[in-house]
Amino acid sequence: MNSVKILTAICLLSGSAIAVEVPITGTVESRCVIQTDTAGIYGNPNAYTLSTAPADGGVLPIVRYDVSLADAYNARITYPTSFSQSPNLNDTVTFTGSVDVSSVGDVAMADYQTDSITYDQTREYALTATGSTWFKVESEATNGGNRAFPSGTYRAVVEAECIAQ
Amino acid sequence: MYRAIVATFLVAIATSVVAHEMTPTYPEWYVSHVQGVVKTQMTILNKRHDVEYYEISVTDKKGDPVPFVSQYKIAHVKYLQRLKFDIYINSDDVPRAQYICSRSKLKGEGTATLLSSKICSKIR
Repeated sequence: MNSVKILTAICLLSGSAIAVEVPITGTVESRCVIQTDTAGIYGNPNAYTLSTAPADGGVLPIVRYDVSLADAYNARITYPTSFSQSPNLNDTVTFTGSVDVSSVGDVAMADYQTDSITYDQTREYALTATGSTWFKVESEATNGGNRAFPSGTYRAVVEAECIAQ
Repeated sequence: MYRAIVATFLVAIATSVVAHEMTPTYPEWYVSHVQGVVKTQMTILNKRHDVEYYEISVTDKKGDPVPFVSQYKIAHVKYLQRLKFDIYINSDDVPRAQYICSRSKLKGEGTATLLSSKICSKIR
């Protein structure tokens, strides 16, 4: 009889230990995260042009913005105006480019492209909805006088900024 | 099935862990232990494997620099690490200090185009 009581007591004690609540706490705060979704690559459709356009054999760099609070940030994306790495160039290079919304994570972002403003090489978007937005950047470099680019590695920098409103 | 799960996991890693993040979005100034100087604390999370250094700056609304003191002007933040740092400015500069920014410093390796990321928090 005593052993039954002891066993019951042990079961009750162990049962109460299992029932202890473990609290989980967390803080959610507004934030902007800039992610490199796809690194761009210059294609070489002819001797004097480098382009990230897929039609020219390039790969468009894609930048992803994640925001957790609506109307809190502006995204500014600037296409390159010079090479960050190149061989010694034999002429002046002209840079052109564009920035477009590639994909949106919410229907409320559908008007981002039409509502954006552009100045110099920069396009600015008001991030009015929460979630992810993907932007693609096209960059084209043309060597002066249609002279052939020297062989070597060419790299350029896309600037992606997230500015709190 | 197992291969599909592994492949999905690898793709998820390859496409998601390349981010730059700075919080809080709206920092505030607090009194510091030095008279006439205020401070705030910021956090950078580096999820960009191609970046280890971030340049810190304080600017006015036009983007012109405002003098500040911090442990780091160029902060070394290893991949997947979080760095907390204090920023101190003169109380007289509080009205014109609008943004605290961090910009990635690029190493310039590989063959792809680079992404320079910059995040600015607005001071309230």
